[in-house]
Amino acid sequence: MDDKYSIKVFDPEHILFSRGKGGVFQGIIEGKPYDELVIHRTFPFLYTTRYISVRDVKGDELGVIEDIEKLDDESMKELDKELRFRYFLPTVSRVDSVKQKSDLWIWELQTNLGPTSMAMRNLHEHLQFPGDNRVILTDMNGKRCEIADWEALDAHSRSQLSDVL
Amino acid sequence: MSVLDKLPVAIQTKLQQEPLFSGKTDLMTDGHFGVQWLTVTEQELMLWNVEGKQQLAIKLSEVTDARTAGGVGGGSLMIDTKKGPVVAARYTAALTTLFSFAAKLIGALAKGEERPVISEKEFPRYCPKCSNPLSEGTQVCPLCKNNKKVILRMLSYAMPYKLQMVAAGFLLILTTLVELIPPYLTKVMIDDVLQPKDTGSALLTVVIGLGVTALLMSVMQTVRGLIGVWVGSKLMGDLRKDVYSSLMRLSLAFFDRRQTSQFIGRVNSDSEAMRQFMTDGVIWASGESLRVVAIFIIMFGLDWKLTLFAMLPMPFMILVSMKLWPKIGRRWYQQWRAIFRLNVLVGDSLQGVRVVKAFGQEKTEMSRYAVANREVVRHNIRIEGLWQGVFPLFSFIAGIGTLLIWYNGGLSVIHNELQLGTLMALIAYLSMLFGPLQWVSQMINWASNAIAAADRVFEIMDTPSEVPEVKDPAVIGTIEGHVRFDKVTYGYEKHHPVIKDINLDVEAGEMIGLVGHSGAGKSTFINMICRFYDTDEGAISIDGIDLRRISQTDLRSQIGVVLQETFLFDGTIAENIAYSKPDATPVEIMQAAKIANAHDFIVRLPDGYDTRVGERGHRLSGGEKQRVSIARAIIHDPRILILDEATASVDTETERQIQEAITRLIKGRTTFAIAHRLSTLRNANRLVVLERGRIVEVGTHEELLEKKGAYHKLVEAQQELSKIKGVEG
Repeated sequence: MDDKYSIKVFDPEHILFSRGKGGVFQGIIEGKPYDELVIHRTFPFLYTTRYISVRDVKGDELGVIEDIEKLDDESMKELDKELRFRYFLPTVSRVDSVKQKSDLWIWELQTNLGPTSMAMRNLHEHLQFPGDNRVILTDMNGKRCEIADWEALDAHSRSQLSDVL
Repeated sequence: MSVLDKLPVAIQTKLQQEPLFSGKTDLMTDGHFGVQWLTVTEQELMLWNVEGKQQLAIKLSEVTDARTAGGVGGGSLMIDTKKGPVVAARYTAALTTLFSFAAKLIGALAKGEERPVISEKEFPRYCPKCSNPLSEGTQVCPLCKNNKKVILRMLSYAMPYKLQMVAAGFLLILTTLVELIPPYLTKVMIDDVLQPKDTGSALLTVVIGLGVTALLMSVMQTVRGLIGVWVGSKLMGDLRKDVYSSLMRLSLAFFDRRQTSQFIGRVNSDSEAMRQFMTDGVIWASGESLRVVAIFIIMFGLDWKLTLFAMLPMPFMILVSMKLWPKIGRRWYQQWRAIFRLNVLVGDSLQGVRVVKAFGQEKTEMSRYAVANREVVRHNIRIEGLWQGVFPLFSFIAGIGTLLIWYNGGLSVIHNELQLGTLMALIAYLSMLFGPLQWVSQMINWASNAIAAADRVFEIMDTPSEVPEVKDPAVIGTIEGHVRFDKVTYGYEKHHPVIKDINLDVEAGEMIGLVGHSGAGKSTFINMICRFYDTDEGAISIDGIDLRRISQTDLRSQIGVVLQETFLFDGTIAENIAYSKPDATPVEIMQAAKIANAHDFIVRLPDGYDTRVGERGHRLSGGEKQRVSIARAIIHDPRILILDEATASVDTETERQIQEAITRLIKGRTTFAIAHRLSTLRNANRLVVLERGRIVEVGTHEELLEKKGAYHKLVEAQQELSKIKGVEG
């Protein structure tokens, strides 16, 4: 039995992830099959594909995956997909407009998952700047989008952003 | 029937029977944005695409349970079937409530339980008209409602002072008109006195005229200024009062999510910005526009052709102003946010200054400050720079008009078509005209700043309290203290419930000890009784009356709280004890302190009950503060008493004293106590063991020990710990 007060880092060789018939994320962890697994990013801002906490349905941690790149292709693909489902954070590819209507800020965005719009009561509580040029937008309902590097966006987007960031 | 969204006809026609539930997702099952439909009938649940093509169908007979798996920013509806779990639908955070309800319904159908009834809370929070999200606690869309514009709303604050404002306005009109006299007198002087070399009394008359107008102007300006200051200060006072009372009205949940020190500055600086606009701005703007009109009338009267030259640059200036307006507003807000972040940072590190010093992190804090400070400087330069750039541009353009008049007017004077005095008067009026026009940009500045401030202030005022006051509250009088939890579920962030499905019936006068690991939901449990938060599901009642039907003043007057973190207000010990009963007599105060085992130490203080405590006052020890706060609870004489780790931070002897005080305090009152040391709960009639937000065991100390369950484990763990402590000691 492992010490319950130390973080268990998985050996990537002993981990297999797949997707069940019902579209549920499952896997075989060190020889033991689980028909549903829950994952958490431990550092959602800093390391999006590293240090992934794997838990059973009850929420008990089975261990941590240091880097998803080290898994086999199939497992990595499924884990990456599951991360995208669990951390619904579309990446903004273009900012169509940022408008202030009445007392709402309305953002019209193009993302890697399709177009969307976000509404915020204000900017100072709905924008996060985790560092570099990254911006996390959270709308009134908790929907989030990410701008990976706002200076790398096209000129139109940048001009939309220059007075609101 | 729980049909929510209206099904598209394409799907409607394919359903065999009327659905029990139909709801629209905003994500496809592959995680992309898009719409799918979920329908639930008595027999099965189905997922459709918008064209009405079936994507998934599960027979309810196959289903064992349903739940939502909440992610970050979104979630999925999971159906547990006999063949394993299935992802039925995915959605963004906006629809969490809707699909939580769907999960409950499907679960109930599968297990043959009573079907849940949909509540208003579970409706998707979108405006039916413009599909923009609605803010919490309202079904009125901020975009679609006939919004009283911010400016109008702001000006409504000036209404009580309309008399004074009208007086100021009247004086302003007068001043403006009087101001227009000197250039005309100058014209008279040049054309009728100086050029004809008239040596009569005309010169003296004109000079006296100039002197009188100057005197009149300064008197009127003084009076107007005084009115302005008076109205302005009153306005500021009203605004500040309103913002503060809005803040006090808001529920605890609002403050949980925000850093409180930010509001200190906001109350003042935002109301100042609004005040500036309303008094200086409005009076000034109306005065200046009036002056512009008057000047044009006079100028046209003097020489209409030359006046047209003067007007040439104006359209350009108006255009530039219109273009700049929104930009300046945004930059003001940007600048404000930079300062806001700086203030939050200062607030944080000053509040935690002990930690900063203890870890020797002053340098890190300074560099964090430096970064935020650089941002403020950058934004400051941007906004001030824009403004500094616009101002000279406007002056220059205005200057072009003057040049045109000089040239054309000069030619006319040379050709004797125009008198020199008239030209001089025109030039003088023109410079008066461009004064206000140049200051249009200042006005833009003020107005944008004020509107940004007003937006923030009104946002606070418009935020509905999450624990709304009931319209006609039930009269409770003095309660017995019978408390009942009925299937209570609550989470600080909805859908991440901290306490789940709590059922508990507490007799009047009973003492309940709440035990469990930290994070088990003990404090939340207690917060629910105080109605700091409203239940997400289920209800809490006191003497059979739902908490939500009791007015909060009535409720709080029946509940007394002693917390681990004692907070004493700035004031004397006596004032602090009598906080909830300001008319308490000195004897009552002493009596309360005596019961709380506080009387003796208070009397020994040099200033006795008049000792100032709080931020600027005498420093009491943790145990002393605790006993003062117990005295505060005693004098409050509540029917329900809440003790949250009341003895956690004191030594054994003090704990004994506090324990004694508490034993006296709880007599005859319904008491809920949380204590880390289980031994302090030995007086409890029943112990409630919480684990991950659920009640796992209820019973007396002995019963639970015999059961050898969760409580037994906690007791054992604590005995281990005290053994270790014994060795250390």
